[in-house]
Amino acid sequence: MRDYYAQYVTIGIFAIVAAVLVVGTLQLSRLLRPSHPTAEKLTTYESGIDPIGAGWAQTSVRYYVYALLFVIFDVEAVFLFPWATVFESLGTQAFVEMVIFVGILALALLYAIKKRLLEWL
Amino acid sequence: MPIAYFLVLSSLLFCIGVYGVLARQNAVLILLSIELMLNAVNINLLAFSAHLAEAGVPGQIFALFVIAVAAAEVGVGLAIVILIFRNRQNVDVDEMSLMKW
Amino acid sequence: MELTGLVQQSVDWHAIAPELVLAVSAFIVLVADLFLPKEGKWIAMPLAAAGIVATLAAVVSLAGDDRGTFEVAGSATFVVNDFALLFKGLFCVIGLFVLAISFHHFRSGRYYQGEYYFLMLTSLLGGLAMASARDLISIFIAIELISIPAIVMSAMRKGDARSNEAGLKFFLFSVLSSALMLYGMSLIYGLTGSTVLTDIASSIGSIEASSEPVVVLAVFFLLVGFAFKISAVPFHFWAPDTYEGAPSPVAAFLSTASKVGGFVGLLILMFEAFPSVADTWRPLFAILAVATMTVGNLVALRQTQIIRLLAYSGIAQSGYVLVCFALIESGPGAAEANRQALTSAIVYLAIYAVMDAGAFAAAVSFARKGGSYFISDYSGLWRRSPVLATLMAGFLVSLAGTPPMAGAWAKLFVFLATVQAEVYWLAVVMGVNAVIAAWYYLAVVKAMFFDQPDSTEAVEVPYLLRAAMGLAAAALVAVFVYPPLITDLADKAPL
Repeated sequence: MRDYYAQYVTIGIFAIVAAVLVVGTLQLSRLLRPSHPTAEKLTTYESGIDPIGAGWAQTSVRYYVYALLFVIFDVEAVFLFPWATVFESLGTQAFVEMVIFVGILALALLYAIKKRLLEWL
Repeated sequence: MPIAYFLVLSSLLFCIGVYGVLARQNAVLILLSIELMLNAVNINLLAFSAHLAEAGVPGQIFALFVIAVAAAEVGVGLAIVILIFRNRQNVDVDEMSLMKW
Repeated sequence: MELTGLVQQSVDWHAIAPELVLAVSAFIVLVADLFLPKEGKWIAMPLAAAGIVATLAAVVSLAGDDRGTFEVAGSATFVVNDFALLFKGLFCVIGLFVLAISFHHFRSGRYYQGEYYFLMLTSLLGGLAMASARDLISIFIAIELISIPAIVMSAMRKGDARSNEAGLKFFLFSVLSSALMLYGMSLIYGLTGSTVLTDIASSIGSIEASSEPVVVLAVFFLLVGFAFKISAVPFHFWAPDTYEGAPSPVAAFLSTASKVGGFVGLLILMFEAFPSVADTWRPLFAILAVATMTVGNLVALRQTQIIRLLAYSGIAQSGYVLVCFALIESGPGAAEANRQALTSAIVYLAIYAVMDAGAFAAAVSFARKGGSYFISDYSGLWRRSPVLATLMAGFLVSLAGTPPMAGAWAKLFVFLATVQAEVYWLAVVMGVNAVIAAWYYLAVVKAMFFDQPDSTEAVEVPYLLRAAMGLAAAALVAVFVYPPLITDLADKAPL
């Protein structure tokens, strides 16, 4: 058990070095650089356009459908990865089963396409 | 590492989830709390699976199915939440009282 | 355990034929709906009906078989026996009945018809899978397959705030209950090292005394999870609201198929996996049964709306089934007693599903043209539509448990099993509740036949609904006259 926790010492040293490195370099550059702030310079950088409105902007609800479709195929990967690691030793039956599984999900995609969810209006 | 650590972690997570479900009013936050509970279940399953070593395969498979079903539930839940937001501009569950006995 | 061995076993395709047929027909309905013109969307309903009939044929082709497939460590996790087939058949019948209720409602109401029928078939598929599931993973998948499409179905009226609310309430309760159930399942898995019910049953009896509290906790979590699904008091709050807000045919589906699905899962778990530790959890079921019966009936007394009345009456009916669980014995010589409890639960569920679906069908047909969902509007229905009044009265009388309908036998069998197990106090509570229940059912019947109607406008009932209700009523009368029709099936259907 003690050995186990001893391994954390390495991580601890690493974390301290990392923190010192980041803080140190930032402080160093702060000492070296000139500082002449103006109102324009202090505004939020938004690709050169003046920022309008509050920081909490609403995103179009349309993105929601994409998020959902993403989740479907994201979870598909949960099943695909374990399958892929042992795929070769399992043979054709496992392949056919996975094709059926992906086929059913493809049907859902067909439904989404047919309902014109993937067209941007 | 003793299995008790994992079980304590998962029961804590589960309790936080239960608290969130009971105390929160926003439907999305309730949904998140339920996700916490499901993750507690997953930790349990994987801890037991690792503990059982060779015989632990069903636990891992179970966890995969829990993840998949949780995703399906979130999909349906968010769809309903958005539907409600469109119709009434908020998702506060305390205001869902059109029907009462 | 060797993963390759798990995956590379040969599958008994005939055993899973009903599920395959139903799944394929669900996809056919979905794809057909995509290519149907707007006025032709109703064709999805006959397609779905054909799919269910084909599934029923597959179920019948398996009759009398005893098969198992998808083996984990030598035990089958998917079992086809008389118990499974009986419930598969029941789910198909309920499915056809709900299709008949839905057809006019959804066609004239400008709903999403194709999606609705697809979701209904998917939910039924969950029920069919549940009847065969014999391990924790498949039970979990089956119950979610029943619930998730049902949630979408109850929120089907997108623009209606009540339907939205119904969907959200059902969703939150359903997801919460599955999280609780899963936690219980994970504990069981940890205790026994297996997810297969037969293995759990053999190792849970020999568990050390120090782990016993964990067993109780795990069964408690499982029970709470299922109590939500079968709407047992105090976990019933979602049910009346969801039934009221959802489209009425969906309420019929939730109250029959979805509830029976939950009960099948509970029957399988309790009778297969945990009878050896029955002493620890039997009191839980007794309390739950008493609370469910009593609260359901008392609250039903003051309902003014027929759907809510049926919702609370359905809750009370769940209580009678829960009584059967409180009769499970452990130890040697318990097999015979447990069989009787199981048989009476099966008979109750089968009869309940038919009469409850019938009552919902009658309520839907009354509300369709020239009626409403308010009970006060049922006064004098006899003069406006004698056929509908007679059918409705038949279903209500059956729900009340009075002759000449099958509901009488359902209650009597549970009552007899309780007396035989010498749990007299439960039998007394059941008796008192039956009297309370008779009061509100028969009040509606009395209003229909003896009160003056407010309007004289005739109530139109479509032929499809008439045929469905007529068949259901005929079946109930037939079972009353000759109960072996159902008891013989249930008798030879151990798990």
